[in-house]
Amino acid sequence: MGQQILNAIFIGSIYALFAVGYTLVFGVLDILNLAHSAVFTLAAAVAYTLVVNHGQSFWVACALGIVIAALMGLVIEYLCLRPLRRRRAPPIAALISTIGLALIIVAAIEQGRPGTLFSWLWVDGANPVTMPPGTFPNPTWNVAGLTLEGAKLAVIPISIVLMLILGYVMRFTQVGRGLRAVAENPRAARLMGIDVDRMISLTLVISSALGGLAGILFGVALGDISPYIGRDSVEVRGLAVIVLGGMGSIPGAVLGGYVLGAIEVLAVVLLGSNVRAGVAFAALFLMLVLRPQGLFGAQLRERL
Amino acid sequence: MRRVRLVSILAAVVVAAACGSTGGGGTPANSYSGKTIKLGAVLSITGAGGVYGPQSRDGMNLAVDEINKAGGVNGAQIHLDVKDDASLQSQSAQVAQTMIQSDQDLALLGPTLSNSAVAVHPLAESLKTPILAVSTTGIHIVPDCNFPKTDPCKFVFRDSLGEETAIPDNIKSYAADAHPATGVLLVAQDDKFSSDGGKIVQATVATYNINLLKVIKFNKAEADLSPYVTQAVAAKPDVIFITSLGGIPAKIMIEARKQGWAGQFLGGNGFNTATVSKNAGAAGQGARSASAWYLGNSFPSNADFVNAFKTAYGHDPDQFAAQGYAGIKIIADAAKRANLTFSDLPGDREKLRAAMETVNIQTPLGPFQFTSTHDVKQTVWIIKMDGNGGFTLVHQIS
Repeated sequence: MGQQILNAIFIGSIYALFAVGYTLVFGVLDILNLAHSAVFTLAAAVAYTLVVNHGQSFWVACALGIVIAALMGLVIEYLCLRPLRRRRAPPIAALISTIGLALIIVAAIEQGRPGTLFSWLWVDGANPVTMPPGTFPNPTWNVAGLTLEGAKLAVIPISIVLMLILGYVMRFTQVGRGLRAVAENPRAARLMGIDVDRMISLTLVISSALGGLAGILFGVALGDISPYIGRDSVEVRGLAVIVLGGMGSIPGAVLGGYVLGAIEVLAVVLLGSNVRAGVAFAALFLMLVLRPQGLFGAQLRERL
Repeated sequence: MRRVRLVSILAAVVVAAACGSTGGGGTPANSYSGKTIKLGAVLSITGAGGVYGPQSRDGMNLAVDEINKAGGVNGAQIHLDVKDDASLQSQSAQVAQTMIQSDQDLALLGPTLSNSAVAVHPLAESLKTPILAVSTTGIHIVPDCNFPKTDPCKFVFRDSLGEETAIPDNIKSYAADAHPATGVLLVAQDDKFSSDGGKIVQATVATYNINLLKVIKFNKAEADLSPYVTQAVAAKPDVIFITSLGGIPAKIMIEARKQGWAGQFLGGNGFNTATVSKNAGAAGQGARSASAWYLGNSFPSNADFVNAFKTAYGHDPDQFAAQGYAGIKIIADAAKRANLTFSDLPGDREKLRAAMETVNIQTPLGPFQFTSTHDVKQTVWIIKMDGNGGFTLVHQIS
């Protein structure tokens, strides 16, 4: 059971880190950025390619992966969101445009093979790959019947510290106050002299950087980097987490991530492996029925 | 005038008889020369089957290239159109229908996944178009493609080794070598190939006195397989059976070794590609499976294929490349003997189907024939992962 608790905390950390990015954008813009899972994938793919195909060190590759993810935040804003915002398009239009961008990013990665247009980005097509052994320090200890793996253990404090920093920034800094003002009422924020567009860009940069970091940690710790890790592993679960925690709530996303991780693992242990996904989403359904605003959310307004 | 007409009729009969005598064993070169034999391949280049489809495609393209450069099939060039089904059943059926009805392809190859075959093969059967499965290994692929209906499908053939042969042969071989007493099965429950493999493992283990302690089912899109592996390892089995697709077997092996389990992995066709062996690395060393093909076989039809493939693509082929290559050679051989008209597509499809039943050629898989149920009749190779992305031969089962 101890090993399963560790499993739950590890995957909960990934879910939380990923979902914090999701919920940040939702909190500020009232839209779901469904390109977030593609950014998760892209950062992991970039880090892998830099190490394996371009001979970069692991740490440089991770840093550049996060930078690329952050830049993708700007691409999402300038390509998918701002033009629609200018035309006062309904939120559903932004949702669809981010889905489109996500599909393009995943397609670009999965088409990457030697000699193709995207070979600078990825050469393994649809194949899943792992970082070569020895790329990063990953000691494993066996203590009291538990297997403690360095890469997975590291994910937990990294996620928690980053989420605490984000919480601090949002609550106690000028930037955080600006973001919260935009979230509360963009028109009023603009009248108060806040550069709303800049704040939105910043939100997407932070959100995408966190998503990218989650992707890199996921790919490295689980030895699974492929064009589909975002879509298959975290996209729907990330949505579940932010609903569970309360749409737009950062503490809610953190708690929701760990709750979903725990529910999934407990379902395997107590009810059998074949019902894991069913149990997790039954819990989500229950939450929607009993407390639609989630664990930390305010009463739901009309949002997508 | 009557005499002239009689002579004309007699002359026509003589000419027709002469033409007829070239059918079957004759040389229909005149009707083939300058023509094109259009084939379509429905493969999973992306998605879960993307680990296998590109290899099949490369094998097929190599065979087409070789045949065309050597003068074609009695002078007719082969044109192969490969389309990606993204590992989706609905897209697979859509692509197949387009190839059969709009593109007017003579015959099809594929699809990559058994999950897609349950939609594509009945479609090809209903449209009377020969289709050769080159990687589908699940249950009810041939001859009963319309399962639960049991009528044999006349137009569906398979050159890939079915899991109903591969998994029992592998278990039998390992049981004879190591006499394992206990096992745990990890099975992906959300695709036909994997769940069929799981059923076969469950039906086979008792024959070899292996007590299956636990059956652990999971879905392929799980974020983290660790909870399942922890359950498997906690049961302390001698063997972990894995029936799943793509990168999942490697992920399970790596996690189980990290958790300190040192037993034997046994699997099916899902193990048999270099990607899985490479990803598993040292964790996969010794993992055994039954394969339709082995890289190190030195008989000429394999050695030539391996050399040509390495020259063309710069890396070793795998089982899926070999089966794709063999698939084109099989259809080319049948087309050569089918006395195609190139003007009557339904008739040509029927002629090709009939000719495929009597294929008897050398391929990288070894001497190749179909059984009476259109399944593959060939040697089975028990292989194990070498820990470096390759495989070594353990046993040969004729």
